[in-house]
Amino acid sequence: MNAKSRKVVATTVDSSHLTTNDYLDLRFEELLDRISADGLAPGGGSAAAFTVAFAARLVAMVARCSAIWKEAPGVAAQATAISDRAIALAQSDGRAWDAALLALRDAEAADTQDDAKRDFALERKLEAAAAAPLEIASLAADIAALAAAAGERCEATYRADAAAAAALAAGGAAAAAHLVRVNLGIRPGDRRLADALSSEQAARDVADRLGGAAR
Amino acid sequence: MTRHSSLTDAELVRACRAGDSEAWNELVERYSRYVYAIAVRGFRLSDDDAEDVFQDVFTRIYLRLDSLRDDSALRPWIAQLTRRRCLDALASKSRETPAEDELMYEETSDLTDVEEAFAVREALAGLSETCQEMLDRFFARDQSYRTIGEELDIPSGTIASRIARCLGRLREQLEGRNPPAEGSRG
Repeated sequence: MNAKSRKVVATTVDSSHLTTNDYLDLRFEELLDRISADGLAPGGGSAAAFTVAFAARLVAMVARCSAIWKEAPGVAAQATAISDRAIALAQSDGRAWDAALLALRDAEAADTQDDAKRDFALERKLEAAAAAPLEIASLAADIAALAAAAGERCEATYRADAAAAAALAAGGAAAAAHLVRVNLGIRPGDRRLADALSSEQAARDVADRLGGAAR
Repeated sequence: MTRHSSLTDAELVRACRAGDSEAWNELVERYSRYVYAIAVRGFRLSDDDAEDVFQDVFTRIYLRLDSLRDDSALRPWIAQLTRRRCLDALASKSRETPAEDELMYEETSDLTDVEEAFAVREALAGLSETCQEMLDRFFARDQSYRTIGEELDIPSGTIASRIARCLGRLREQLEGRNPPAEGSRG
């Protein structure tokens, strides 16, 4: 276990937190307070998912404000669907992360447990914790693609918002890809890590292109 | 897909009346989930009660198909039969029946969802297979553009635009639908 993990385990883990996890029922300020409250979810993965959801809603807004663009309603519908998925992933990432923290704590406490067995259980939990960020990165790449379409075809007034959406998507993708890398450990050739990095790159390419065009 | 799956409701009804057993199978296949959804989602019936309603509704459809005045109005007729049978089922359990206003709320909110879902399903059937496939993969199976592109061998950069165009066609299909007519005497 590395130093970072030990520090996390030192945090008190309250399992009752796992049952009060519906982020959409929280006021925005409460959600922000929850993020900053302690080492529990919502953490980086959920924040990345929220960022992707913000990007998606911006794309939906740009599309809805672009009456001249025939495909705009279909783009808005896709962006809204992606936003819904991102929020759901924020929830599942929170649950997976809390479960991983509990497993880390239990592993610390169980001195007599067989090391190999314990490490295997931990690895499984951490792999589960990588699943949501992997999907979040993929959603970010998709919303960046929609932002690219919006940036090219929307009304000029909203091009900056399309570029902002792409930048947010790139940020969400980078954060999610980082979490995939950390939770899976360093495993060259792992397809999941390659997919996450590919999503990150795709989102960043769009953000750079739209950002450059806006300057 | 059977040779009957592309028939309109009116054509299907005529084939059933002519004694075509495959047409009857298609009718049951087309509307079984609809009847079940009304019973379970619209009226909150238990699985056992919903199964009773299901059997009874399709028995009545079989026996009374000749009473359907407008062959194209099959769906609203089935909806009407199902709602009546569900109310009968609830009435027979009167001690467990919710207050009337609560029942009405459940009918109006959830039945609207069921109706909309089936209207979309019908409209989807009018789209090309490629469109149906792409919309299903994106909206129902939550697949990414990359996955859709890889599995359908389509450049992933074009997926979003294709889906948007398919949604446009779906919208046209839905807007072109005639409002449901009154069903029957049954």
